[in-house]
Amino acid sequence: MGYVFDLGSVLSGKYLDWFLIGIATTLALTAVAWCLAMAMGIVLTLVRMIPFPPLGWFVALYVEYHRNVPLLVQIFLWYFGVPSLLPRPARQWINAHHGEFLLAAIALGLAAAAYVAEDIRSGIRSIPKAQYEAARSIGFGYLGAMGYVVLPQALRISVPPLINQTLLLFKNTSLAMAIGVGELTYRTREVDSYTFKTFEAFAVATAVYLVISFGIMALGSWSGTRLKLETR
Amino acid sequence: MIRFENVDKWFGPLQVLADVSGEVRRGEVKVLVGPSGSGKSTLIRAVTRLEKIQGGRVLIDGADIAGRGLDINRLRQRVGFVFQAYNLFPHLTALGNITLGLTKLRGLSKAAARERAMAELARVGLAEKANEMPGLLSGGQKQRVAIARSLAMDPEVMLFDEPTSALDPEMVGEVLAAMKRLAAGGMTMICVTHEIGFAREVADEIWFMEAGRVVERGRPAELADSDACPRLAGFLRRSVRN
Amino acid sequence: MLEILQNNWLLFLVGQYPHGPIGGLVMTLFMASISLALCFPFAIGLALARLSPYRWLRLPATAIVHTVRGLPLVMFIFWAYFVSPLIIGRAVGGVETLVIALVVYEAAYLSEIIRAGIEGLPRGQTEAATSLGLRYWPTTIKVVLPQALHNMLPSMVSQFVSTIKETSLGYVISAHELTFAAAQVNNVLLTQPFEVYGILALTYFALCFALTSLARLIERRISAGRGGTPGITIAA
Repeated sequence: MGYVFDLGSVLSGKYLDWFLIGIATTLALTAVAWCLAMAMGIVLTLVRMIPFPPLGWFVALYVEYHRNVPLLVQIFLWYFGVPSLLPRPARQWINAHHGEFLLAAIALGLAAAAYVAEDIRSGIRSIPKAQYEAARSIGFGYLGAMGYVVLPQALRISVPPLINQTLLLFKNTSLAMAIGVGELTYRTREVDSYTFKTFEAFAVATAVYLVISFGIMALGSWSGTRLKLETR
Repeated sequence: MIRFENVDKWFGPLQVLADVSGEVRRGEVKVLVGPSGSGKSTLIRAVTRLEKIQGGRVLIDGADIAGRGLDINRLRQRVGFVFQAYNLFPHLTALGNITLGLTKLRGLSKAAARERAMAELARVGLAEKANEMPGLLSGGQKQRVAIARSLAMDPEVMLFDEPTSALDPEMVGEVLAAMKRLAAGGMTMICVTHEIGFAREVADEIWFMEAGRVVERGRPAELADSDACPRLAGFLRRSVRN
Repeated sequence: MLEILQNNWLLFLVGQYPHGPIGGLVMTLFMASISLALCFPFAIGLALARLSPYRWLRLPATAIVHTVRGLPLVMFIFWAYFVSPLIIGRAVGGVETLVIALVVYEAAYLSEIIRAGIEGLPRGQTEAATSLGLRYWPTTIKVVLPQALHNMLPSMVSQFVSTIKETSLGYVISAHELTFAAAQVNNVLLTQPFEVYGILALTYFALCFALTSLARLIERRISAGRGGTPGITIAA
């Protein structure tokens, strides 16, 4: 084929800048979406605990929607669909303020929140009822028993799955390229279209994704062993 | 101090407590024995509303535990409960398990709580395990910490729900010893247990339960005479044989 | 919204057929099914390799699985997009590219499910087989795999649901599936994006929710059949 693998040309000058901006955007998108996901996930968990059935149904519907509709479709609905429902000034504001980044972050964050809520809920459920009883038997009310005994244990258990959600969120940022967000995959295609060094460009992106992903995976397994309470 | 008046409870169609009445006066030690499923655990759990009863009343110092306006959390601080499965909090040290209630419920300072907790641990002979995580303690040690945890709240009565049933035989002794010391010190106690020797030694009265009813009551001394409490004596004989 | 559905339901269902290649929901289901079917042997191979006592099998398999887990699906799709023509020797269409990418991607994830299923079996199964005189391979094929696969049925249905959702990425390389069809409808109508994409979301929701519910039903049946032995709950 006579193809020469030329990594240097892809990592020089403005192309290097594009890659770096792409990485920064990916990380920024991950961070913003993650904060939204955690906040919303906690809110959903709390709402679920309120003994008012319609609220429970609402949370269940939220979770089912975000788990059964593809993330790309959710992004489209937010980016193409929602602004069309808003009044013109709102639309103009969105367009002027990095609309695609914001809406992608919202879509990614709210979707991840569904899984976060489920992970926290599993964590809480895995704590034996006896722990709650023991706390109540000492004289703690519902809040005290949950806050001092159940939740500290539940969150320990939830950390590895939550780190896994972080990994998924990080990988899902790549979908934002479909609406023009300048994250890593988008930038890689840009570099490719300018240099025609497809292999090299995508090799760089692949390496970056793998390094960060493996980092998150390592954090996950480290936390899993670190947080485990020893038994004889 | 604790009075049961015609207590009934059903789990669905099954009646687990049927017209149970009785009294436990201050300073008394009552031991509940009986075959599995006789309702003894359910009865003792009903005292602190870990189980809700459907008929009759349970009174502590004259107050109906199901009464309106009763602060169940306050009440539970006055009643110590020791579980068969110990139920120590695994994310806290032995000391932490005890100081939690002292600091958050009794409002003690960290230092005062620590001092009190260490004293309780010393009383059950586990002062050196204060900073150990529960996961690394033996069953007998865990149960003693559980007892210390309950005692630290200065309860007026201690309830024991089969405290030694989950323990290997060689650890039963240390827990029973702690309980005997408590009884000798004048604590009001209700114990559900299979340890007949303990019952004979320490109980003021033994209640024999079967199918949700208190079928016989007897003082340990009376049990030597099997005519007074035939069924109880028979049950005790069968238990010892095992 | 109803009007849009009434006017365009055929497009959503089969894409541009018969005036173009088949697409739409039909193609989505076809691609998901065939990807999962084709990746099956690879998934089993990877799972067994990861469980084997031979390092030269175990380590590469583990590396492959971790690498696939570390990359977004979009990257696989692009890699498939420009590598497939070089390997196969001719131009490769969007649908074929997507299927190739999915086969690689799904094989890794499915292998993890199968591995969990095999590891979840009581050790007594292999012991009983070996004490009857069966050696490694016959034991694996006749005793371990059938049970593991049966237990993992709910997870595999879940994986099918995931694959259906993943086909939506075909949009990025203009593969003719449901999301691409919806985008085409939107490009024509232009003024009702919320309704168009709303229909798209509802279609996926109906399909995936039905399948997920099926998975949960199967899971309950399996748990009941085992007499209440706690198994690994995958289809949560």
